[in-house]
Amino acid sequence: MKMQIHRGNGLARAGRIFVFTAAFSLLLAARLGAQGRGQAQNPAARTPRAAAVKDLTGYWESIVTEFWRYRMMIPDKSDYVNVPLNPEGRKLADAWDLAKDQASDDQCKAYGAAGILQVPGRLHIYWQDDSTLRVDADSGTQTRLFHFGGMAPAGKAPELQGYSAAAWEGGLPDSQRSGGGGPVLPREAAGAAGAVGALPQEVGGAPLGFLKVSTSQMRPGYLRKNGIPYSANATMEEYFDRFSEPYSGDSWLVVTTVVTDPQYLMEPYITHAHFKKIPDGSGWDPTPCRADQPR
Amino acid sequence: MRLASLSGRKWKGLWLPALLLFVFSARSAWAQVDFTGEWSPRIYNDGRDVGDYTGIPLNEAGQLRAEGWHPDQTDLPENLCRPHPYDIGLRVAPSQLYVSTELDNATQQVVAYHFHAYWSDFRVWMDGRPRPPQYAAHTWSGFSAGKWEGSALVFTTDHLKEGYLTRTGVAISENATVTTRVTRYGNVLTMVFVINDPAYLTEPYIRESSWVYDPQQFIPPFPCEPSPEGTILPAGSVPSFLPGKNDMLTDFAKEYGIPPEAALGGAETTRPEYIEKMKHMKTLPRTTTKHYVRQG
Repeated sequence: MKMQIHRGNGLARAGRIFVFTAAFSLLLAARLGAQGRGQAQNPAARTPRAAAVKDLTGYWESIVTEFWRYRMMIPDKSDYVNVPLNPEGRKLADAWDLAKDQASDDQCKAYGAAGILQVPGRLHIYWQDDSTLRVDADSGTQTRLFHFGGMAPAGKAPELQGYSAAAWEGGLPDSQRSGGGGPVLPREAAGAAGAVGALPQEVGGAPLGFLKVSTSQMRPGYLRKNGIPYSANATMEEYFDRFSEPYSGDSWLVVTTVVTDPQYLMEPYITHAHFKKIPDGSGWDPTPCRADQPR
Repeated sequence: MRLASLSGRKWKGLWLPALLLFVFSARSAWAQVDFTGEWSPRIYNDGRDVGDYTGIPLNEAGQLRAEGWHPDQTDLPENLCRPHPYDIGLRVAPSQLYVSTELDNATQQVVAYHFHAYWSDFRVWMDGRPRPPQYAAHTWSGFSAGKWEGSALVFTTDHLKEGYLTRTGVAISENATVTTRVTRYGNVLTMVFVINDPAYLTEPYIRESSWVYDPQQFIPPFPCEPSPEGTILPAGSVPSFLPGKNDMLTDFAKEYGIPPEAALGGAETTRPEYIEKMKHMKTLPRTTTKHYVRQG
């Protein structure tokens, strides 16, 4: 009996210590977490524009270093190498008819949300308002809107550019990373290294995080100009990352795109596109949608 | 009885370690981007042909080196088991990737990230160690030092051996450096490679690859021994083309209907306005429109 009383007191005390410890840990983690989000002062009260972890605005130009023959030219019919099309998708791609596309009222199928960033051209990115980032493309004269905090409206008819919900993600300070001591060499060290060539400068400012864009409600379109299809059931996630290229200091925008289409794809299709920052819109060259041209 | 022995006075000595355990475990849950584990490639490498230098900002020396390359060079005994430099090793199939950390025993801090792929194996040092001196040996993996830039791991690699940018003979010099940016987007791991090679490129060459998290993946070992069987060429000569004598150089351009000049690459060819310029260039009569079939 005495032992039972003693055990009960011990359990109660242990429970109190557990609760106290857990509560204290949560409070501390929350405090560190707030710091980890860039010392954000009440981030919920800030607009997406003010809370941007990276500045994506400005003029950007495609630099086509990969898949050149699929992007700078119209690929041959049925050339869907590297695209995980399922049999239904292949059948549709094999039936692609350029003349039919040209004759139709809709030559914009390759300029839809899931294809437009693969079309060589320029982007103009700017804030339409405090919670909408707008992306204009001169190729096909298209506009995409990235809605922060928005949800795809129910019952809305599918559109070429679909509905894009956006959110800033990532964004933890370097000081909270493990193994943060490794250098990207400063230039004076590069000079000392001599024969290893021009090593990069340390990238200053260390911008944080990336932009995630989730797109749905797209009209059927083409992943490539040669009629490789995506369906109205397709959804897409995109990740926009901006960084300074260490050798010349140029700013780059790299977009990783994941298209999921249960109708025409066997698995999610991952592509990349990169854009170099250009000073202004002087090279802006708006074109209409053209089924028979690469852009 | 055992429970009773843990209660009371002994808890007084345990509350502080318990508190620290909670605090640090709570922190580590959000303070790191975890790259470790098995990653399955979704690279869709664009399997280049001889003469396909499209999109590569080659300078004149780079074009000459590429044109001189003969595909039979891969059958030389010394090349049969030649590894790829680290970056192309991550891009050519199969390139399943396994990432692990190496920790300091005393501090449990990350000393290095270890990237292992079928063709490639290298470490990214995170402990601030100095780069090797100029005279240090160049290797297939080179020397990589990294740091975090927000949610991206960024590392620069130098001390690489001379190698290739493509499997079809576009060279990268031993003075090249590669800056790699690794970012995890959910279950997708993306690497951006920025290659700087003043010997053969007029500007940095940027390209990307992605992998998908795949914990069930198995990476086979890569034991390679030169075998006397097969198509090994006898030692003593290196198959190559003298400048202007490469009779397969235009095959790619003919098969795809690309102006031969454009197929040879160069920074200008990567810009959107080059599309208009190509309209005024001559193409050679196409030999096929089904070339892609053999790529599967």
